[in-house]
Amino acid sequence: MQNIDLHNYQDFLLRYIDEELDLRQTEALLAFVALHPAIAEELESLQSTKLAIEVITCPNKAVLYKNIFPVTLEPTTIVYPNKQKLFKKEKEKAPVVFLRWWAVGAAAIFIFIVARYGMFNGEAGVGLSKNNISKSSVVKATISTANNASHKNTTTNIVIENNESLASTNIVANQQNIATNTLESGGFGDVAYHAIQNASTVTTTETTHGTASYTGDVIDVKPTIIAEITVPSITGSLTDHDETTETIETIDTETASSNRSVMVGAFEIDKDKFRGLFRKANALFKNKENNKNEK
Amino acid sequence: MTEKDYNESVLLYADNVYRFIVKNLRHTEDAEDIVQSAFEKLWIHKDSVETAKAKSYLFTVAYHLLIDHTRKAKRISLQESFENDTQTAYQENKALKKVLHDALATLNETQRSLVLLKDYEGYSYEEIGEITKLTTDQVRVYLHRARLKLRNYLISPQQVL
Repeated sequence: MQNIDLHNYQDFLLRYIDEELDLRQTEALLAFVALHPAIAEELESLQSTKLAIEVITCPNKAVLYKNIFPVTLEPTTIVYPNKQKLFKKEKEKAPVVFLRWWAVGAAAIFIFIVARYGMFNGEAGVGLSKNNISKSSVVKATISTANNASHKNTTTNIVIENNESLASTNIVANQQNIATNTLESGGFGDVAYHAIQNASTVTTTETTHGTASYTGDVIDVKPTIIAEITVPSITGSLTDHDETTETIETIDTETASSNRSVMVGAFEIDKDKFRGLFRKANALFKNKENNKNEK
Repeated sequence: MTEKDYNESVLLYADNVYRFIVKNLRHTEDAEDIVQSAFEKLWIHKDSVETAKAKSYLFTVAYHLLIDHTRKAKRISLQESFENDTQTAYQENKALKKVLHDALATLNETQRSLVLLKDYEGYSYEEIGEITKLTTDQVRVYLHRARLKLRNYLISPQQVL
């Protein structure tokens, strides 16, 4: 411990005032002060500099407190009046494409109008289908025969009646019938041969291959192709048979088959499939309504 | 510290902090503002402040707010009003207690704060050093100088002024 003397006593006095001396230092200082009355006066003056503790109250202490209010509120019974409106029912799973009957009907009407008046093409009165069936394009099958009325060397008169309005298929049928009848009527080979040949010319070319004298050309059958079948001569019994030229205006079969489809914009829709789709849709909705009614 | 601890700190230390500030500033409204700011800062940092160190934290914050306030006040020549106050007090020859507080006003902010922290709050040199960001020796030296200055003022105020 540092000894207290006249050179360092003031530091001890100040530390004593500040209460920073331990017990032994305090006893030593008080003993030193007791020996020096002048230092005792100085100690008294220094002690007067020490502030007396004052009680000062902070005026607005209440604003410093945080959340002093009661934390838990007393439960009060308040009934919400429109509670019924808040109830929710989970929606049923809708089908992938949910269409109502009137929506289907509207769509059908729309498609019909579009198909009928050609809204997308902008041409009034012209159908959307490029393969429209027009009344004017009635199948015309013209078989013009130079001498189709009769064959000289035949025992029976065979008349091939060619109706201008006949379809090619009808022609085939008629000719086959003719051929059959000819064969049945007595086996006149020449006539029968001729008849078969004519018939086969129209129907198939393979069967006519057997006839050596047939040189008729079968023109590739395409829509609105006129095939000219020229039979210059039939070797064999039909020597006097005149050259016949048959002009057949074939049926536009592709057009007929494609008449079932309708072009809507850039899409080609098969009418039958479309109709079937509507039927299925209607059946679906009817089943659904029935199920609902049963529930 | 919890909300409860914070409110307990308000109950325990608000008066002390306020006394410390108002004795320094001698301006009640400014002192209230500083105290409120100090406690607001404690509330914000309550999660990081231990309950045992709440008082020290409050005084530290209040002291620095005080320093800031005093520096700001100096810029608007508040010192003149202090001098007028001390002169008025001297002329009226008030009681010793009053004179002592006037003498306190003659100290600079640091010395005054050290005296207040020592006498009112009973902090040690080390604790005062933590609050004021001074070393222990600095606290001791500054505080001793303040004591001698106060003593001289009490013995002969005219010499001091």
